Amino acid sequence: MAKNVLLVDDSSTMRKIISRSLRQAGLDFGEIYEAGDGQEALAVLEKESIDIVLSDINMPNMNGIEFLREKGNRPGIKDIPVFMISTETGEDIIGEAKSLGAIGALKKPFTPDKVNEVLGPLM
Amino acid sequence: MGIFIEISEKLIESTVEIFTGMVMMEISVAGEPLSSLGSLQHSITGMVGLAGTHKGVLAVHFPNQVAKEVTSSFLGVEVDEINEDVQDAIGEIANMLGGNLKTILSDRGKDIQLSLPSTISGEKYSFTSQTEVDQVILPFQAPGGIFYVEVELER
Repeated sequence: MAKNVLLVDDSSTMRKIISRSLRQAGLDFGEIYEAGDGQEALAVLEKESIDIVLSDINMPNMNGIEFLREKGNRPGIKDIPVFMISTETGEDIIGEAKSLGAIGALKKPFTPDKVNEVLGPLM
Repeated sequence: MGIFIEISEKLIESTVEIFTGMVMMEISVAGEPLSSLGSLQHSITGMVGLAGTHKGVLAVHFPNQVAKEVTSSFLGVEVDEINEDVQDAIGEIANMLGGNLKTILSDRGKDIQLSLPSTISGEKYSFTSQTEVDQVILPFQAPGGIFYVEVELER
């Protein structure tokens, strides 16, 4: 069954680009939901049926690391996989994200081919 | 200034990668790096700040017409005014370049913090630092005109 995706990024441009890249990569997914920061993402996860989260790190209000930490404390949503898509790809930050449950990371900028290569197996 | 040679080379590479891979626009280097820019007219600037072991700012300066063309190509829709979409797109280009600059200056990533991107625009303005900085300004040719990528780092 096609997976529902939640895109979390404070940039509306980047949410559109990721959404377009998923389509261009030919990946099989269901609904795409959007959130502008970690707080909005938690609200969507509590309300909708989401199969995978693609999240930025550097965001206002609640950043990607804080989002992972808070999500991990909520039993109903803690097991939903999160994949980071960010300009932040230093070992320390990605290591922290993975220690909080992130299943991988994709660096911005990216191409549809890269999206297909990295996210295809998860879809 | 040796670090600016490395910064310039890698930022040229990153800028071309962002434009060809994500903005879907062909660009090229438009001459040698500059040391100052003077006042900007009918332009929009996107910027991110760096704090930590290196303090400074990365900025991208686009004439309005180029910014609209870049946003149109980035989003795949026609944009004919400087609106929120243009501000967001130009801010995101600065954000991606800032992330690359951070990677150049810090392999592991926790000793430098990036601010959220912001933009300024206007009929005429200058982009200057209040502290002593080393800087480099890289000119690029886009189909609709020249834009600049600028890095300022505190001495």
